[in-house]
Amino acid sequence: MSSDYLLQVNDLKKSYTTDNLILKGISLDIKPGEFVGVLGLSGAGKSTFLRCINRLIEPTSGNILFKKSFITDKDTDNEVMDVCKLNNKELRLLRRKIGMIFQQFNIVKRLTVIDNVLSGSLGYQNAFKSTFRIFSVDDKKKALANLERVGLLSQAYKRADALSGGQQQRVAIARTLMQNPKVILADEPVASLDPKLSREVLGILKKVCKEDGISALVSLHTLELTKIYSDRIIGFQGGYITFDGSADQLNDDEIEKVYTKTGD
Amino acid sequence: MTEIKSKSRTEELKESAYSKSPPPKKNLVKIIINFVIVLIVLGWAFNGANFNIRELIEGRKPLISTLGRMMPPDFKKIVDPNHYNKPEDLNIPQLFLPIPLEKVQAKHKETWWNNQFPQTILGSMIQTIQMAMAGTTIALFFAFPISFLAARNTSPHPLVYKTLKIILSVLRTIPELALGLIFVSAVGLGAFAGTMALAFGTTTVLIKLVSESIERIDEGVVEAVKTTGANYFQILSFAVVPQMLPDLISFGLYRFETNIRAASVLGLIGAGGMGYLLNNAFRTFAYQEACAIVVILIVLVISVDNISARLRRLAI
Repeated sequence: MSSDYLLQVNDLKKSYTTDNLILKGISLDIKPGEFVGVLGLSGAGKSTFLRCINRLIEPTSGNILFKKSFITDKDTDNEVMDVCKLNNKELRLLRRKIGMIFQQFNIVKRLTVIDNVLSGSLGYQNAFKSTFRIFSVDDKKKALANLERVGLLSQAYKRADALSGGQQQRVAIARTLMQNPKVILADEPVASLDPKLSREVLGILKKVCKEDGISALVSLHTLELTKIYSDRIIGFQGGYITFDGSADQLNDDEIEKVYTKTGD
Repeated sequence: MTEIKSKSRTEELKESAYSKSPPPKKNLVKIIINFVIVLIVLGWAFNGANFNIRELIEGRKPLISTLGRMMPPDFKKIVDPNHYNKPEDLNIPQLFLPIPLEKVQAKHKETWWNNQFPQTILGSMIQTIQMAMAGTTIALFFAFPISFLAARNTSPHPLVYKTLKIILSVLRTIPELALGLIFVSAVGLGAFAGTMALAFGTTTVLIKLVSESIERIDEGVVEAVKTTGANYFQILSFAVVPQMLPDLISFGLYRFETNIRAASVLGLIGAGGMGYLLNNAFRTFAYQEACAIVVILIVLVISVDNISARLRRLAI
């Protein structure tokens, strides 16, 4: 086990039915600060893989290791923990540190933009106060600062459904930043956006990740965007990782492999 | 020339497509059999319901004469101040506003409110509104938390929502009049029994409607809030409540309208509201007065419908 990993995935398997594995043994290391593009056909297991990392989906077997310092922010906590074995309390602490961005944005349309952003900090809040949407001035300042980073400060007090799709996804990025995440999982973040907005949103996502040293796992369906934005690309095919390398290494043969449908 | 060619090409395409995938043939025999079955079932129903056109035609004369005796509606009791037995030592603001009064005056006011006020038509109308408001509010208070337990996606355990759904579907079958009779025997005649009957009936219905609304919410938002490390109550507050709130308000207002109507029926069994006076008027053959009460009830229901439609638009 190398020492500079953030998350280490070992032989991760997931099946929904007893005979059909959607993930057939995924192993990889995520290093701090790297922006990883995830390629693959629909049904190749990209979404399932991303959701196993924060256990929105329970993996069938395998493990995802991290050092305790990942959730405590104390460099001295070197104890190695397994995502798959966490209890509910520990899982919530882990989820605070793993942001997630969705294809359908999944922001709360009937709440204001700033309330949506503040919801990103729920894992750190007093459970009682935050249930009644009471936040400190400091939290509000932090939310506004994050909105400014995604260029939406002027929209802060509008209702979220008044915003366009691209803007809604930027709100989702600001919400994720409230978590002080170490990793952001983005599941087809630009699939519902036009090409121009796609670049804008991915540009912002990459910028904030670089500024804060956040690692990102971003599944994308266009090769072009993946090559432009990714430091590293992994290719999923039939439940396995068939490619793991830089954009330069992704030649036509490799692309062919990732995009060939296997019969099983 | 090319035009003709393309035309015949289109015809050819049409014919070949039709022969490859012809529309399914309608089975005439099947349609007739279904039609006959429906006729037999409906005949059985009308027969059992003693439906008789001749009686209806013969009954038109007494019906018309009763309606005739109801005309014109008699609003005398409503507009005549004497009917309200206003205590002489009190003026209108003193009667209706919480103004500090002398001991004797306060006593008169209390007596008037307790004995006189609900028995006048305007008084019982106000009481009907009050019963509907109180009953709906109590119902909302209980239905709001229980709905989360009764919804599949927010229930702490599948057993909880399944059990609740069974219990509630049993309780929902009790008609409001029966609930009224039960509460009258428990707390005695009067508006309180009626209010409790409305509250109970409305709670069971609201839980069904609201929990089904919770089951229809966008789960993606729940997932998103969950990934921030939020706990159960935070998820409810940020992802579930904002999505179900418009429905909660809408259903609450709708039940308020229904309860105005229900409250007027509950008066028939002595559980407060306008129905009591309506029943009295009919039993003493004061048809014109009964008609006036019905007119007021209609005006009341229509106004409440309009007001709540406005409130609903404000909320959504």
